[in-house]
Amino acid sequence: MHLVTISGAVRPQPKSNTTKIVEAFLHGFEEGGNSAEVFYISDRRQWQSAAEAFYGNKQILIALPLYVENIPGILLEFLSGLTPKTEDGTKLAFLVQGGFPEACQSRCCKAYLETLPGQLGCEYAGTLIKGDMFGLGMVNDKTREKMLAPFTEMGRHFASTGCFEKSVVNDFAAPEYMPEKQIRFYNRFMHHISRFFMGRIAKKLGCTEKLDAQPLVESSRRNEVKDT
Amino acid sequence: MKRLLLVNTLPEGNPAAQTVIKELQMQEADAEIEIVQAYKRNFHPCIGCNACWLKTPGRCAIPDGYEDLLRAYLAADAVLFLCGTALNFVDHRMKNLIDRLLPLVTMNIHFVEGECRHIPRYDKCYRFGLLYGGQADRAYLNHWMERVMLNFAGKSIGAYPITEVQEVISCIW
Repeated sequence: MHLVTISGAVRPQPKSNTTKIVEAFLHGFEEGGNSAEVFYISDRRQWQSAAEAFYGNKQILIALPLYVENIPGILLEFLSGLTPKTEDGTKLAFLVQGGFPEACQSRCCKAYLETLPGQLGCEYAGTLIKGDMFGLGMVNDKTREKMLAPFTEMGRHFASTGCFEKSVVNDFAAPEYMPEKQIRFYNRFMHHISRFFMGRIAKKLGCTEKLDAQPLVESSRRNEVKDT
Repeated sequence: MKRLLLVNTLPEGNPAAQTVIKELQMQEADAEIEIVQAYKRNFHPCIGCNACWLKTPGRCAIPDGYEDLLRAYLAADAVLFLCGTALNFVDHRMKNLIDRLLPLVTMNIHFVEGECRHIPRYDKCYRFGLLYGGQADRAYLNHWMERVMLNFAGKSIGAYPITEVQEVISCIW
């Protein structure tokens, strides 16, 4: 099987979590002699080749970061430029990765993705969802490997089925919601640790302000004063 | 005086957009209406650099003037977007505007009704609505707008076909 993979990540390739996930996924997919090619939408020079690969192939995977409840604007721009296929038989599957841990965060996007293949003259071949991926680029190699291993396994699964089966993806996406106990734990302890950790990353990036700074507040205050 | 911000992502000369603008100016004569013609500004897509969360908190790294819109959202009592559609959804110009809202929230998270949310950067309840021209799934757009506003601790005014401007007028405030 040959799989055309379109990465809808907005970040340039080296900094993209989606890219890392796609690489892990394809590692599993290609094990049995399958082949794949990847196009990166963040690089507009690849749009023409990506469109040609879309038209010329029957197995397509679009991988994307969840972006405000749906696909990123730049991916939408690329897809809007495609002419819908008129010949039957193209399967279009999706891989959605998000920063928040719960799968429920991606359900609104998934509902749209279920309808998207029909708009492009393709058949829907399932959506793989995984949250808690924000830190993928910030963790050490060992932790990253551990986070990516399940995607390699899903690549193997996809190679054998050509789609994402509902029962498999639901297990993979879990938890749907965070358990009450974990929410309480986060509220009591983890949010302090998380803030500390993010503060350190920000410092390393050269940030000199508080992460909850309000740089635009002055303008809104001025407007309030004008009003009274 | 109530402030209404109208962000038009359709071409300035689009007849449907012109009708909506005229109608709003007539029927909302008591409100201060600011109109931003976003089509010609062609705001860039978000590049996911996280600068607005981790490097220059609250400020977008893309120097294309979008910060003016962020200020306008903060100053407005309600915001209406006029947009086109693509693939049964809003078009990419509109989606780019929504993707670029991220500086309005912080990196930090909390739980709201059992779901993770970014903590809002400003003490502001945004009210955003959508008027779309073209074919789209209205029920889905309403759902999407509800979800978008949950992420920014705001409220959705709803999604309306551009021909139903009267309906949106009755829901703005």
